[in-house]
Amino acid sequence: MNCAELESLLCDYVDGTLKPAERERVERHLAQCAACSGLVRDASAAVSFLAQTPEVEPPKELVTRLMFQAASAAKHAGGLRSGRLAWWEPVLQPRFAMGMAMTILSFAMLGRFVNIPIRQLQPRDLNPVEIWAALDDRVHRAWERGVKYYESVRLFVEIKSQLRELAAQDEDSPAPPAGALETSGNSPLAPAGGTGAPKDTSGRKQP
Amino acid sequence: MSTVATVFSAVGAANAAGRALAGRGASARTWQSVLSSGRPLDLETRLVERCLGGDETAWEDLVRAYTKRVYSICYRFTGSEAEAQDLTQDVFLRVFKTLKTFRAGEGSFTVWLTRLARNLLIDHYRRTKLERATDSIEDQLPVLEERSAVSARTDGMLAGREAGELLRLALQKLSPELRETVILRDLEELEYREIAQILNVPEGTVKSRLNRGRAELARILRKHKVLS
Repeated sequence: MNCAELESLLCDYVDGTLKPAERERVERHLAQCAACSGLVRDASAAVSFLAQTPEVEPPKELVTRLMFQAASAAKHAGGLRSGRLAWWEPVLQPRFAMGMAMTILSFAMLGRFVNIPIRQLQPRDLNPVEIWAALDDRVHRAWERGVKYYESVRLFVEIKSQLRELAAQDEDSPAPPAGALETSGNSPLAPAGGTGAPKDTSGRKQP
Repeated sequence: MSTVATVFSAVGAANAAGRALAGRGASARTWQSVLSSGRPLDLETRLVERCLGGDETAWEDLVRAYTKRVYSICYRFTGSEAEAQDLTQDVFLRVFKTLKTFRAGEGSFTVWLTRLARNLLIDHYRRTKLERATDSIEDQLPVLEERSAVSARTDGMLAGREAGELLRLALQKLSPELRETVILRDLEELEYREIAQILNVPEGTVKSRLNRGRAELARILRKHKVLS
């Protein structure tokens, strides 16, 4: 036996768990090797010293505090795991509950848009063909309404700008001579090409 | 030849002390003591199952059965009662939160709990490393040595409290790896296999660290004339 081998057996030797044959080999080596004898002596002395030290007792107030915490932990574990509530444990997690609430809200808004009665929902309301038709109808109506609104606004702005131009023109030429209207064919509201009879848009009397 | 005789007598004394230590808890044979010393796996597993079932008394039994072990490990490792109390509380808070992650097939509850406590201790050690560097215990040992030397030299045996105090200070001088191994084996009496699981190292490493830890401890105690 060499020193490295002894070191690997040292713990078991000090514990007294070596087989008799191995123990004999260790002791033969120890009789010849002072360094290993020193190792064994140190390990044994440390074990003896550790064995005579008293056990550590936790303070009573710590145990009381832990018991109190244990009671609340038990209530938490029992409250969630007992009965029907156990099924709701994952659902009651804040993140999941928030996500679920947002999903329901989104579907409610979508349902309202598509005209599905959420409160009195029946199986036939969930017919995909009807939902698609209603959605298509809604989208088309919204589109048409949007286009119509755009056209109206456009017309309104056009008329308004032309009236403004007309007013500005009137201010520039305050008193046109008689017959001037006859020759002025560039009225903004005059028909294109100036072929038709000129209209008196100013509301003045004809001479 | 006289050296060999001294070694043999020392080994005999160590074995006898080990047996005495093993029999220490045997007087109070409540089921909690059986649980914490003998640790039958089915008892531990059943207790954990009862806890997870929401049985309030089971949680109290769990606290009663394991507080001493957890507090002891924390106190031996940190050397401070206040820190040990805080850490024990942290360990149990973690246990209350994560008990459902315990799998009976992956090892005993004692190993699971001790691993959890050890990880918290190492985190705490790393966190407070700088604070400790400024507050060395070097200056505390000689004072204690003077106090204990008289009784140590007169009858060769230290009074229990003094031995405990000496051990507390001596353990603080060991590196965390050696300290935790000595605590788990020589004070908490765990098996080498269990210590290897807790520390996540091979059994050979556990034994090697234990040899070094014991030798270092003996050297420190001898330096302060506690051992001859």
